Amino acid sequence: MINDKNSQKIADFIKNWARKHSIWVLAYGTGCGAIEIPPTMTSRYDAERLGVRGAATPRQADVLLITGYLTTKTLKRVIRVYEQMQDPKYVIGFGSCTINGGMYYDSYNTIKVLDKYLPVDVYINGCMPRPEAVLAGFAKLQQLIQEGKATGAQKYKENHEYYRGNLRKIIGNKYEMPLYNW
Amino acid sequence: MENIKADLISKIKSTFENVTEKDHDGNRLDFYVNKKIIPSILTHFKVNEGFIHLSHISCVDWLEEGEFEIIYILWSPKDKIKVFVRTRVERENPVMPNIDMIWRQANTYEREMREMFGIEFEGLVGEKEFVLEDWEGMPPMRRDFDTEAYADETFWHRPGREDAMDVREAIIERSREEIPDFAKKYSR
Repeated sequence: MINDKNSQKIADFIKNWARKHSIWVLAYGTGCGAIEIPPTMTSRYDAERLGVRGAATPRQADVLLITGYLTTKTLKRVIRVYEQMQDPKYVIGFGSCTINGGMYYDSYNTIKVLDKYLPVDVYINGCMPRPEAVLAGFAKLQQLIQEGKATGAQKYKENHEYYRGNLRKIIGNKYEMPLYNW
Repeated sequence: MENIKADLISKIKSTFENVTEKDHDGNRLDFYVNKKIIPSILTHFKVNEGFIHLSHISCVDWLEEGEFEIIYILWSPKDKIKVFVRTRVERENPVMPNIDMIWRQANTYEREMREMFGIEFEGLVGEKEFVLEDWEGMPPMRRDFDTEAYADETFWHRPGREDAMDVREAIIERSREEIPDFAKKYSR
């Protein structure tokens, strides 16, 4: 019965519908964009009506927000946090710094292209994106989840060597990163 | 305020040799000194003149003159005056006297300067690594460190930035705005 095509379709629909209405965001901010999260969460824009709320630890969270510029020092911790998160998990790149470096395009210690290191599902542009833009990003992520297209975690599993290789090129061989198995 | 400043200048000049001063508006006073007398003049300011607060230690890279300028900013809560003690040190193998026995918080600034400019302080305690991790090569805040070239060879860039055009002339033409001469040299 469970291998029946139509049953699988219905099961997927229910699963995706449930997932899209409980997006828990890891309370972890990098860079200056984290200051846009409190107005998004609090009463004026009230992201919780979409099911978006904070989660305390990586293992309880579904979404990792990269809010702004990411230094090489923070990148190591971000990768570690991302690998600790449980499937299903999604990444939102926030602000122009994650897209092409933004105003830090010539900085010696910030990365320029986030999707070399993490599989990004949604990018929100702007410097900084206002809470309306953040909500639009979450709505886009919900749409992708419902359609079953937010498959960043799957991509990360399949191309683990590629992402780890890029990370290794940046941080060198001195820093030891633990390997989490799936 | 002027009386206090003049008094301070005469006291410092009678105590130390080769000190030049520069008076600024408001409550600011600069002293240019040799680096050898830095610990003694700072101790004098702290103990005898009431400048008990070290606000900041700052560093300027004078690349063309081959020197670093180190600036100690002191504050006197009693007289409400801030004093800038400025000294120069050569850029090749710079070594400065350590002052963290006078103010303990100077240790933090000195460690940062050691990492960002490569200035050594005699007998400085603390980890070599301060903010940067696994950094090798030239200290990044020196002016001859080419940060754009370093970023180009270390990181990936997303294509699309190379056709960023200078649109200022088009804007000036459209708005018939006059641009001052000094601003023209910053044009790309």
